[in-house]
Amino acid sequence: MTARLRAANANPEKYLMNPPRFLYVATLALLPLLPFSLRAAQDWVRYNAVPNSSKVRVDGTSTIHDWSVESTALGGYVEFDPAFDLNKPALGKVNAHCDVRIFVRQLKSGKTDMDNVMYDSMKEKDHRRIDYRLTEMTLKEAPKSPDAPFLFDTKGELVVAGVTNKIQMPVSLFRIGADKLKFTGSTSVKMTSFGITPPTKLAVFSTGDDVKLTFEWLTAKKEQK
Amino acid sequence: MNKNETAELNRRDFIGSFATLMTMLGGVELMTHAPVQAADLETLVPFQIKCGVIGLGNWGREIIATLSRLKTAQLVAVCDTYSASLKRAANSAPNAKGVEDYRKILDDKEVQAVIIATPTHQHRDIAVSALHAGKHVYCEAPLANTLEDAKVIALAARAARKQVFQAGLQTRSDPQRRFLLDFIRAGASGKAVKAHAQWHKKQSWRMTSPNPDRERELNWRLNKATSLGLVGEIGIHQIDAMSWFLSARPASVTGFGSVMHWKDGRDVPDTVEAIFEYPGGAHLNYECTLANSFDADYEMLYGSDAAIMMRGNKAWMFKEVDSPLLGWEVYARKDQFYKETGIALIANATKLANLTEKATEEAAYTTKPLYFALETFLTNVNTVSSAVEDFSATFDASDKAALEKYVSEIKLLPAATYQEGFEATVLAIKANEAVVARNKVALPKEWFELA
Repeated sequence: MTARLRAANANPEKYLMNPPRFLYVATLALLPLLPFSLRAAQDWVRYNAVPNSSKVRVDGTSTIHDWSVESTALGGYVEFDPAFDLNKPALGKVNAHCDVRIFVRQLKSGKTDMDNVMYDSMKEKDHRRIDYRLTEMTLKEAPKSPDAPFLFDTKGELVVAGVTNKIQMPVSLFRIGADKLKFTGSTSVKMTSFGITPPTKLAVFSTGDDVKLTFEWLTAKKEQK
Repeated sequence: MNKNETAELNRRDFIGSFATLMTMLGGVELMTHAPVQAADLETLVPFQIKCGVIGLGNWGREIIATLSRLKTAQLVAVCDTYSASLKRAANSAPNAKGVEDYRKILDDKEVQAVIIATPTHQHRDIAVSALHAGKHVYCEAPLANTLEDAKVIALAARAARKQVFQAGLQTRSDPQRRFLLDFIRAGASGKAVKAHAQWHKKQSWRMTSPNPDRERELNWRLNKATSLGLVGEIGIHQIDAMSWFLSARPASVTGFGSVMHWKDGRDVPDTVEAIFEYPGGAHLNYECTLANSFDADYEMLYGSDAAIMMRGNKAWMFKEVDSPLLGWEVYARKDQFYKETGIALIANATKLANLTEKATEEAAYTTKPLYFALETFLTNVNTVSSAVEDFSATFDASDKAALEKYVSEIKLLPAATYQEGFEATVLAIKANEAVVARNKVALPKEWFELA
C-alpha cells in the first residue's frame, strides 16, 4: 500500500478535500477538449421511443393451441451518426446506437393465470427487463418511393431472463412525418437458448420451444433544448 | 351405498378406486405424471399485495378470513376505533399491525391497498383520504348513505387514474354470474319480462353491547339517520345484479316498509318491498324481511322461454314447454324443485366433478362471491401498480397524460367500478326513500351521472 493510500484510509475526508496534484493537471489538460466532446454528443441525432405507439408481440405454440403475448410499452432510443443522412442515404454500414427495453410484466396474453406462469418461467422476479442492444446496422436498400421503408440488416444482443444471445434480423424503417421513425421487424428465437424451460402443465399441455418476436417501434426526434 | 350415490359415481372416481385397488393387490399404477417443469398454478405465488382492512365488524372479520385464504394478499394492518374489535381481529390476523386511527394506515407507505368495511355513513372520509394518499381502495357497498357522499367518493375515484377503486358489489366479479350474464344476453331465456329477488332471514339485526354508547354505534343499521335499511344495505347487491342482467337502469321505484315483528323501538322497517320499473315495461319485485326465513335468498329472471333462478353461486333454468331446444340441456344435470325441474347452469360444465355436485351442497369457501371480488381486486391492483412502475421506468415519467393513457388501456379483470358502485348506491338510497315514504320515486338519469 502506498503512503498516499495509507493516508487516505486514515483520513478520508482530508484526502477528498485535498485531491492529488495530478488531478488538477489532468483536468486542465482535458479542458480544451471539452467543447469537442460536447459537440460530438450533440451531433448524434437521437430519437426516443414514443409512449403508447408501439407494439411487440410474441407468438408461440403449444400442444393445445397457439398463444401470443403483447405489449405497447416498448421503450428506449436510437441515435444516428450525423454522417447518416436519411435524405441521401448511402448503402452499407451505418453508425448507430440503439437500446430497446421492455418490462416482462407488461407482456400480456389476456389470461392472468397464464401470464403469471410465463413471468415465472422467465424468472421475472430476478430479471425484470428484456433488453436489446444494437451492435451493427447495415443499410441494404434505400426507399424507392416516399412510402417505402429503408431496409437494414442488423446484429444485436438480446437479453432475456439474464441470458444474452446475439441475434440477427432484417429491420424496416419508415419515416413518419418530419420527426418520427417507425421500425418494424421480426425474428425467431428458442426459449431454451435463454435458459427458459418451455412451460408444461402435467400432461395437459406443453409449449413449443420456438417463439417469434414481431415489433413495431415508433420513435420521435428528441427535442433540442 | 344407496342408489343415488351409485348413480353419482363418475368415471374419475371409478378410475381412482380401480388404481387404488390394483395397487393394494400388488399391481403398479400405470399412469405416469410428466415432471413439473413450470410453476404449478396452485402453488405459484405470482405477487403479494400489502393490504389494510378498516372496520372490523362482522363483515370486516369475514374480509380478513377471506384475505387469509388468498395467496396474493398480505394483510399488514387492521383498524377499528373499538379496541375490543381490534383485539378480536388481531387473533385472526396475528401478523397485521392493529391501529385505532385509520390515518395511520394511510400514512404507512408499505400499505398498497385498503379495504373499507366501516358503517356506510363513515365511508366518505376514509375512502377519499385513502385515494388522496395514493392507496388502491376496495369500498364496501353501498358506497355512502347520502347522494352527496356517494358522488364525492366516486369523483375522487375517477380522479385517481393510477389507482384501482372497486366497489363492494361482489357479484360483478363472480365467474358464475358472468357466465350466466353471457348465457342470458345470448337470449337463452327469451325476452326478459319480469324479475324477482328476495332475502329472508329471521334475525333481529340488533347487536348486543356492553354500554349504551357502543350499542348506538354498533346498531347504526337500526338508525334512520345512518341506515339505508334492508333495501339499501342488503338489497343493493341483488338489485344491482338484476339491473345488470336486465341491461337497464330502472326509471322508478315504489316502496313499502313496516316494522312487523321486531317492535323494539326501531324505526327502520324489518319487512320491506320495492318494485322497480324498467324502461320497456319489465318490473323487478324485491322483498326483504327479518321476520321469516322461508326460502332464504335468491334471484329470479323470468323470460318468455325460460325462468332462471340464481341461488348463491348456483343457478338453474326452468324451460317453457314451447321454448326452442338448445341441445345441451338434454345431458345437463337436473334438480327437482317441488313440481318443477331445474336444469343446472354451471360455468365450466365440461368438468365432470361439477356436474355431479349435489344441488344442496354448501359452496366451498373459495367459491364465495367475496373471495372472487377480493381476488379480482388484488390482481387488478397488481396489474395497475406494476404498469405505473414499469411505464415510469420506460418512458419520461413526467409525461402524465401518456402514463394515464397507458393505464386506461390496460385490460383489467371485471369488477364493480366507481361508476357502477355510484349507480347502485343511488338506487339503494332512492329505494330506501321510497320504502320509508311508502310512495313512488322517479329515477331520472341525471341522478346517476357524475358531474
